[in-house]
Amino acid sequence: MRVLVIEDELRLAENVARSLRESAGYAVDCAHDGQEGLHMAQSSEYDLVILDLMLPGLDGITVLRSLRAGGFITPVLVLTARDEKESAVELLNAGADDYVTKPFDLGEFIARSKALIRRGKGKATAMLKVRGLEINTADHTVHRGKKIIVLTPMEYRVLEYLAHRKGELVSKTELLEHLYDFNWERFSNVIEVYVAGLRRKLDDREPSLIQTARGQGYMLRD
Amino acid sequence: MAKSSIRRRLMVSVLATQVILAVTVVLLANYLMHRQLRDSFDAGMQNRVVSLAAAVRYTEDSSPVLKFFPESLPPPLHHLFPDFYRITDQHGQLLGASPNWRDDLISVPTLPPDHHYWQLTLHNRLFRGICLTNLPVIDAPEPGMRSTTTLTVVYVAPMNELRQHEVHVAVMTLAGSVVLLILATLTVFWAIRKGLSPLAELAEGAKGVSAANWHLAPPAAAAHTEELVPLVTAMETMLATLHRAFTSQREFLANAAHELKTPVAVLKSTMQSTRQRPRTPAEYETAMDGALEDIARLEKLIHSMLRLARAEQAAMDGTKSSYHSVDLRNSCEQAMERIKPLADANGITMELAAASQEEASVLADPEDLDLIWSNLLENAIRYSDRGAHVLVSVAGEGDTIVVAVRDWGTGIPAADLPYIFDRFRRADTSRTRSTGGYGLGLAIAKAMAESYHGSIAARSATGAGTILFVRLPKNNNGHSPSVPGDIEV
Repeated sequence: MRVLVIEDELRLAENVARSLRESAGYAVDCAHDGQEGLHMAQSSEYDLVILDLMLPGLDGITVLRSLRAGGFITPVLVLTARDEKESAVELLNAGADDYVTKPFDLGEFIARSKALIRRGKGKATAMLKVRGLEINTADHTVHRGKKIIVLTPMEYRVLEYLAHRKGELVSKTELLEHLYDFNWERFSNVIEVYVAGLRRKLDDREPSLIQTARGQGYMLRD
Repeated sequence: MAKSSIRRRLMVSVLATQVILAVTVVLLANYLMHRQLRDSFDAGMQNRVVSLAAAVRYTEDSSPVLKFFPESLPPPLHHLFPDFYRITDQHGQLLGASPNWRDDLISVPTLPPDHHYWQLTLHNRLFRGICLTNLPVIDAPEPGMRSTTTLTVVYVAPMNELRQHEVHVAVMTLAGSVVLLILATLTVFWAIRKGLSPLAELAEGAKGVSAANWHLAPPAAAAHTEELVPLVTAMETMLATLHRAFTSQREFLANAAHELKTPVAVLKSTMQSTRQRPRTPAEYETAMDGALEDIARLEKLIHSMLRLARAEQAAMDGTKSSYHSVDLRNSCEQAMERIKPLADANGITMELAAASQEEASVLADPEDLDLIWSNLLENAIRYSDRGAHVLVSVAGEGDTIVVAVRDWGTGIPAADLPYIFDRFRRADTSRTRSTGGYGLGLAIAKAMAESYHGSIAARSATGAGTILFVRLPKNNNGHSPSVPGDIEV
């Protein structure tokens, strides 16, 4: 999963990004003003946008409205210092999916982020199921029956992303975009390695769980 | 102690006046009626005496003698009945008397001259008597002759009818007064109630005022009552003042809380994200440094807020403890010296332009002035580009000295210009991390300048830079500072 954090307080942005990376395993990009954030959100594929309201250049609500006006459907979680009811209503009406008021609890923030991503993928619970395989997106564990399958963080991320897009063809570029921050071009060859590792650990037999469409990408089959 | 009541006092005074008036009227009426009744009673008695005298005639004999002819007497008026009389001639010779006349019961007292009436009691009843002497005999002994005899008539009549009349009159006037008094009391009660109702309505209207609703809705009756207009006006003025103070305090609190939230959010996120997993000592150190930096920001913000609160209090009280005569050129120079590191770090050069021969001292606390200049300079430096110039000028203008701080930076958009001295307001509604600050500097400068009866103003154009003017009253050798000028923007 790839998350964009638009926040001008440098240290707050860093802390949020670090938490998202470490406890959710997401790829995180940061933008430090409204203009940059708007541009990045529009030019890359993100699974979630974290948006601060008080930003230099363009303020948060303007960024949000511009994004929604352009047909941007990715969930947006707003960080705000105001806790009046009116501003919450205004935010949600402007297209925010959720908001947290500063100072917020990082644990709750991460949980809300995960929930928004899940909802963005059309899932209601943290548990993804594919042909007897249970993927818990809350604690990043994978089970088959009672048996735990131990994966590396990157293998897990590939599997989770494919599971979210179950039955759809996912290109290598899309995978890279969602698993890495904006330097993803450098990692273009590692996807095959993770997929191979996954197949081995999942003891994948015919009909294969992770199907390869040569030159096009991968698909998770039920 | 009972509460004093306007209504009660009005009632009592109006009723007391009415009672006094009623008593006076009753007494006067009774006195006049008494006189009237007595006069007509006496007139009736006199008439009777004249009739009695006329009933004394000469007999038709050859040698006529005077004789009383009671049968020629008309019957007495009923209120004079039963009466007593006795008629004698000038020698005391009895000519006639009523059948009930008794010399042993009725005696004529010695009356002073010109007084003919007296009162007496017979059979426990009050009577009034009249004694007229020298009454002529109307009849003549022979035609063409005049009688030489004169008559003395004593006449006594009961006074009970007169008394009854007098009592009747007294009762009637008294009863009338009491009825009128009751009617008047009711009317006065109603009128006072009605007259004071705007006051009650105003009180009812004032009840609606609260921290949530500062609008006093004075009832139309109160607003149009001459006596209540000053009260309504005073209440409205007081409410407006209180509302402003209350709103300003609440805004300050809300803004301060809002401004404190961001550094606290950063601090909290630093702690929480660091604690997510074991870290290396170097990582802990970085986190601690960040936390310390955030704490320093919080401290600076709190300090600024307190400073502002104090300056605003001083502006309101108009009291300053330590006044000195301060030369503004020196004061500005010192402030520039102090802020030089920040200017250097931003690559900004500063210059002071001042006519040195001119008197440029004000009566002030040097620390306050220093705070004004450093806030203005900091503002100018933060909004200037690297390598830019900041010019400070000091010049006298009439009774005031104007210090102008000019920069050639980004300038302030015209729409924001009226708000730059508001607390927590920044030229850019969206915050600028790189310029920092908490939007309190200019508010502090304004409060400080106003506490010296001075003023602050700004002129700016986007892209062309900003000039901030501070106008302070000159130190006129102990003369009181002039009235504060309006803030012109």
